[in-house]
Amino acid sequence: MASKEILRVSDLCVDLFTQRSVIRPVDGVSYSVAAGETLAIVGESGSGKTVLNFAPLGLMPTGVNVDLSGSILFNDTELVGIAEPALRKLRGGSIGTIFQDPMSALNPARTIGRQIAEVSELHMGLSSSQAESRALDLLKLVRMSDPDARLKQYPHELSGGLRQRVMIAIAVAAEPQLLIADEPTTALDVTVQAQIIALLKDLQKRLNMAIVLITHDMGVVAGIASRVAVMYAGRVAEYGPVGDVLVEPRHPYTMGLIDAIPRADDAPGSLFRGLPGAPPILGAPIPGCAFAPRCHAAIESCHITRPALVSTVQPLVSAACPIINKHNHGGAYVQH
Amino acid sequence: MLTLVSRRLRNSLVLLMLATLLCFTLVVSAPGNIAVLIAELRTPKATFADIHKIELELGLDQPIVTRYSHWLTGALQGNLGISYKTGEDIGPALSSRLPITATLVAGGATFAMLFSFVLGFAGALWPGRFADVATRTIALLGASMPSFFVGALLIYGLAVQLRLLPTFGSEGLSSWILPWITIGLLPAAVLSRVVRVGLEEAMSRPFALTAVAKGLTRRTILVRHALPNIAPTYINALGAQTGAMVVGAVVVEPLFALKGVADLFLSGVLFRDFMVVQACLLVFISFFVVLNLLVDIGMMFTDPKLRRQGS
Amino acid sequence: MKFLREFLSYTSSLPRLAIWAVGTFLFLGIFAPWLTPHDPNAQNLLQAHLGPSFAHWLGTDHVGRDTLSRLILSARTSVVGMTLVLVLALSVGVTIGTVAGYRRGWVEEGLMRIVDVGLAMPSLIVALAVIGIFGTGYWNMILALALAWWPGSARISRAVAVNVMNRPHIESLRVLGASPARIYFHHLLPATLGAVLVYATADAGAVALAIATLSFLGLGIQPPTPEWGQMLVDALPYLESSPRQVILPGLALTLAVIGFNLLGESIALNRVPTPLSRKILRQRRITAAAWKKA
Repeated sequence: MASKEILRVSDLCVDLFTQRSVIRPVDGVSYSVAAGETLAIVGESGSGKTVLNFAPLGLMPTGVNVDLSGSILFNDTELVGIAEPALRKLRGGSIGTIFQDPMSALNPARTIGRQIAEVSELHMGLSSSQAESRALDLLKLVRMSDPDARLKQYPHELSGGLRQRVMIAIAVAAEPQLLIADEPTTALDVTVQAQIIALLKDLQKRLNMAIVLITHDMGVVAGIASRVAVMYAGRVAEYGPVGDVLVEPRHPYTMGLIDAIPRADDAPGSLFRGLPGAPPILGAPIPGCAFAPRCHAAIESCHITRPALVSTVQPLVSAACPIINKHNHGGAYVQH
Repeated sequence: MLTLVSRRLRNSLVLLMLATLLCFTLVVSAPGNIAVLIAELRTPKATFADIHKIELELGLDQPIVTRYSHWLTGALQGNLGISYKTGEDIGPALSSRLPITATLVAGGATFAMLFSFVLGFAGALWPGRFADVATRTIALLGASMPSFFVGALLIYGLAVQLRLLPTFGSEGLSSWILPWITIGLLPAAVLSRVVRVGLEEAMSRPFALTAVAKGLTRRTILVRHALPNIAPTYINALGAQTGAMVVGAVVVEPLFALKGVADLFLSGVLFRDFMVVQACLLVFISFFVVLNLLVDIGMMFTDPKLRRQGS
Repeated sequence: MKFLREFLSYTSSLPRLAIWAVGTFLFLGIFAPWLTPHDPNAQNLLQAHLGPSFAHWLGTDHVGRDTLSRLILSARTSVVGMTLVLVLALSVGVTIGTVAGYRRGWVEEGLMRIVDVGLAMPSLIVALAVIGIFGTGYWNMILALALAWWPGSARISRAVAVNVMNRPHIESLRVLGASPARIYFHHLLPATLGAVLVYATADAGAVALAIATLSFLGLGIQPPTPEWGQMLVDALPYLESSPRQVILPGLALTLAVIGFNLLGESIALNRVPTPLSRKILRQRRITAAAWKKA
């Protein structure tokens, strides 16, 4: 990888405290993102992929307290234990964020223009009129039709796809180095989904920003990401270049996920293939491999000791499963 | 926009007609014959003929609808009848008393508005801290203390013990301070809860998280993002509370010896002086209807969804 | 027994101050005649304006009546009045609200217009007007307040009733051939009543305040029946010499209303998430720390 690494997450654990319970939705996760590349984080809902990205940025709802351990280096700044004012400068500035549901993520009582302009006012020190004209440029950048009129409109006057474009305009307003997109296409129509993905790719090229894309849609992963991390129950199951992981999955969970995608050559009327069982309910950390109860290849030791994420025969891909590696490739594990 | 305003205006007129009709029937349905009461008032030994004369004079022999329209057209021209008790013409009495009640309610509403924002905002800015607990306690006390008790405490503390402020009279700003606080404390407490709960609710919605992701401080998010969202609710509550201040005025005016409309209404109620009660109710009802209309328009201006409907 | 246990576990989730205030208020209200140390109406001009003593714990008023006894008996006046007003207002309001919610159409339209007029005017102004026309007296006050209070419960019952009628199981009941009376009495009314009773709890404080205010103005409870608002207005001329007689009834009333307001608040605030208290956060951290060792 030639370009500079801008984000390195090592052994990150997130504990969430609420009025009723304690959970550890993220348990020892490591990955890195290089400038200008896209990393997709894939997993079912409840696999911890959203918390992994938002908890360190302080983007948790009221009533949820967060404890972090491990390390997150963003441009050589340590984000674990960072003071709130310093973190606030990063949010919206060098790190942009897109949320899943553009319907509720925009303020219904303020105009589109103001909601975009205030970001560049804050992070680029622009005056209100300069920010206003920049908001217009941004609307053009995200390819909104009739941008002049849009500035004065309210969110309820726009469709879902247009609102997501506004969210993207807000997220890139201060030209961030890293964009975190949490299921940016899930709440949208299929036709609009493709437009939004194309837009993100285009913006990435223009602004040379890295993207962390959180999704459960393998199609989206294949369309935009260069690398992928597959998460299961708060841990990374498999991690590597998209071409390798999607074409030749090694972890039984990844295999199941990819196998579950309906294929064009499926016989009409054939049953959906899904993974049997359900993901575990998060709470105390699971001692062995979290996937073991649903795994067809699990052996006794899988239930007792947690498998480490190690490089496979293909050195760019790592997987947290001893069995498949041994059976398919027969090689010894290489310590990551 | 304009069509929406005119629709509200029509609704207000319907409300005004219904309310005045209700008010009129209430007085008409009073037990006992009004003519007898008046006749006894004029001459202690009224004869049957006297009573009949007064009945004709008042038009009591005509059907209710005619009497209602007579009363209403008379009222529009400022002719509100005479007090059975004092024989005084009610129209001029009302117009001389109106400024006092208006000053009381306007000042009380301003105090309530300012104080409710201070209380509600401090709590939302530092949730769970001392300011939160303190403002909540003040709000709870303010919402639970009867206004006559608040007034008595203020008179005792500030006027009797500390001799800081006069307890009665309506001259100069200082004589108004105690009445304004007394009448405004309860609405301030209720409104501060509207602000507090509204802000908290707005801060728990997804758009607040977007604002956090933009890098804004909590204070900025509260002012720029949460506040515009509670504006319609707040205006609605402010209208209701300002209307309810007429009730407060009924207590506060006698307590501070202010000769306002509410004081006149109370004496009308105490002496069962129907014409006075009726005239004061008409003033109050018009006030409520205008207030409702203002609230509707205010909500339209602060809620973008409502604003775009008519245009 | 099971019902009692459920009730107790429900009350334990409410603020403690509210339970104490409302509990004391209701207890005094029910058992007042057996709790007063003196005859609350026995006058003794030789013992007027006394301070607290062993015989009169909270002193005496301007005609030498025992203040503590009068305060206790006032709770009864208040509880009885409040209950009567709420029962009357709720019966009228729930009936009209549910009928409007059940029938819909022009019935609803007509009934709700009347409710709107009632709601456009503050309750106490309506009550004052009614008293002004029909005269003072205990039952006139109760009826006037009930008349002023029913539109609020009518609006809420209508909203709940419309909601209940839109639920799918009512539709299936119709299809299965349930009679309108059965739907109304077995399904609509019980569901509405539950929601409206919660609202009534929160509103009880306002009714207590209204009774006291009317009595303060000389239009509600008539002497010699003791009532907090009336005790306060009686003592007002002597504010400078014995402020205690003004402050005590005011405090008693305030405490009772605080109880009801806190109840209402705890019901309303439940849906908004609040930040974690330090105590809970500490407990949660201990749980998480145990994981790291394992």
